[in-house]
Amino acid sequence: MELFSELYGAYFRTVEHILQRGQVTAADIRQIIQAQAFRDSLLFLPQKLLPDTPESWGLLQKAEDGTFRRVTRHAPPQYLTLLQKRWLCTKLSDARMRLFLTDEELTALRMELGDVQPLYLPEVFRYFDIFKDGDPYDDAQYRANFRTVLEAIRQQEVVAVEYCSGKGKMLRGRFLPLKLEYSQKNDKFRIYCCQMRRERVGNAGVLNVGRIRNIRRTGLRMACTGMTARVFASRRCAEPVQVRVSEERNGIERFLVEFASYEKHAERDEAGRSCTVQLWYDTQEETELLIRLLGFGPVVEILSPPAFREQAAQRVQQQYALLQDGE
Amino acid sequence: MGGFSELIKNFDKTRDYVREFFIYGFKVRGDFDRKSARTYDDEKRRVESWLGDYLRYATTERGKQAAITLNSARIAENPLCRALESRSFTDNDIRLHFLLLDLLADGQSHSIRSLTEALATAYGAVFEEQTVRGKLREYAAEGLLLTERDGKIIRYRLTPQTPERLFSAIPALADAVRFFACLPEFGFVGHTLLKAAGLSNDVFLMKHNYIVHILEDEILLHLTDAIAGARMVNLHYLNRRSQPMECTIVPLKIHASAQTGRRYLIGYLPESGRLLSFRLDYIRRVKDGGACENFAEYRAIYERNKERCFGVSFGSSRSDKKSVRITMRIDTAREPHILERLQREKRTGQVTHEGGMLYTYTVTAFDPNEMMQWVKTYIGRIVAITGAPEQESRFRRDVERMHRMYRSEEGDNGAVQ
Repeated sequence: MELFSELYGAYFRTVEHILQRGQVTAADIRQIIQAQAFRDSLLFLPQKLLPDTPESWGLLQKAEDGTFRRVTRHAPPQYLTLLQKRWLCTKLSDARMRLFLTDEELTALRMELGDVQPLYLPEVFRYFDIFKDGDPYDDAQYRANFRTVLEAIRQQEVVAVEYCSGKGKMLRGRFLPLKLEYSQKNDKFRIYCCQMRRERVGNAGVLNVGRIRNIRRTGLRMACTGMTARVFASRRCAEPVQVRVSEERNGIERFLVEFASYEKHAERDEAGRSCTVQLWYDTQEETELLIRLLGFGPVVEILSPPAFREQAAQRVQQQYALLQDGE
Repeated sequence: MGGFSELIKNFDKTRDYVREFFIYGFKVRGDFDRKSARTYDDEKRRVESWLGDYLRYATTERGKQAAITLNSARIAENPLCRALESRSFTDNDIRLHFLLLDLLADGQSHSIRSLTEALATAYGAVFEEQTVRGKLREYAAEGLLLTERDGKIIRYRLTPQTPERLFSAIPALADAVRFFACLPEFGFVGHTLLKAAGLSNDVFLMKHNYIVHILEDEILLHLTDAIAGARMVNLHYLNRRSQPMECTIVPLKIHASAQTGRRYLIGYLPESGRLLSFRLDYIRRVKDGGACENFAEYRAIYERNKERCFGVSFGSSRSDKKSVRITMRIDTAREPHILERLQREKRTGQVTHEGGMLYTYTVTAFDPNEMMQWVKTYIGRIVAITGAPEQESRFRRDVERMHRMYRSEEGDNGAVQ
């Protein structure tokens, strides 16, 4: 049982899509290659697919009308592999699976998978730095709220929400949900959405699913095309944070691995002893970025923007004063 | 095309290059000194073909650097899945795949001989019976085919289970797979399910998303199999100085960080009686090391010690455990969220109120160094660190150095001690 297998490869999938058509033109073949395979596959695949070439796999034959027909009698049959079944079997025991499936659906899936062994036991993994106040996946109300959000996103439908803010204040409003975001670190789901002002789409915002006290669908549907991209663009920093990372304490490697999830641009200095990194970030998460950078201590120096550097400087000054007081 | 192929047989070398482009992104051609220039060009071209616009170039003083650049929190699917979709195969592999599946599409059982004959008669594809047998066995092991014995004859038929049928029977499963495919624990398998059913993720996003973990999935699968089977493994890995090392170890657990992007194998080394950690991305190869008779005993040792492990270090002996106290000044009237943050992030240990604005976090850990990066995220609030003199004095030096760094325009260029 292999993960890195041609069965899951782009070439096999491309051929499958071509053979599903039964009859294709050369243009169809090119279009399917572009959609399913890699960027340069057009240089390598057509000669393998077309008949009468020395490299042909012999899976297509030329028809009188100039098109190409598959040599097989049927469209390629589908199959579920053991790897896929074992992976699904593992997910059966994940509490988050019940966000999606009812008890009846879970039973049906169990029956379908039969006596297959899980791919791994979830307890094999220990995430040692996940926050302790994760969402309550076992809570029936939470699961119901989650499904309402999911369905509303699918239907592009406005929802009426009663929400408890981070400061414990009850808020009410109508929102158009766009995407569900999950953070493994926080173990929480959040909704990217737009607040509705009368019947019009207003400001973008984020709601924690776990803070929703009541949610109902309104039946009002809105076209969401391009809205998510606009929301993300509105949250993106105007200027990236620029930092200098020292190689001391293996700083460069540690930093770049930790910040691998950010859009970034890194340049190493001539001597290779430090590198300068620009990080683009979500402006709503500036504080999180600031404290993570400070966590690297003197290995990372925030260079710009000046206001961001000043925030770091203030915290360092406070810390310096605290240590001086203690002496 | 000079022998260049988009497909690869071995993932090891490619994994290194994709990682270099994604994690570092600042290396220029000359930095890849261990490999030939031709290898670099081929690998870069391959990655470019797989990842398209995600691979970007920048011209710097040091030369032209290639980097995989993206915001992992804003992507619907992990583009590095493409790397795992690049396994090479022979012409016979692909012909046999589609022709055999066509013969088996009737749902009936077929013997090896009848299939071999049908390949020749139906498609003019002449194969040795042995070749056909090998492919059928391989597909039975992968679960595509079911086997039935008829006396001495083995018959094969196609599994009736398909992703499409599964998603039709349980429509809500599609969103579950969309979600789990985004997670780091073998999300690639979920990706293959979605692709097979012609689905894609259009709902979920992942914050703090370390997509590069997918490059370790093959290694990880060997390790989780060994843990499930209570078996030892022979590891080939790189140490901190990038030197190749080898050892045989009892794998027990995968410790993963949701914040630093690092994952580790925790294993027991019987000859030294120690629990050790190995970065997954530093492991090059895993081989089966045979059954481990004392697996339950070693796992019990891990269980006894895990609460004293702040991250991945189990120290060198029991005497290494240190009780560390970190006192912070928190104004709960103005900033109640700071105390809440401390409570939810502390992993283990206790937070006690000392009176006034002072709160102390007390924890016993094998290696206090592991907590210092997290402790420094509270810079501006730390009153005292006690119980770990080495870490305390380093913290003081760090703060003094940062104070100089941020007080001046130029920064501080002194050495970290």
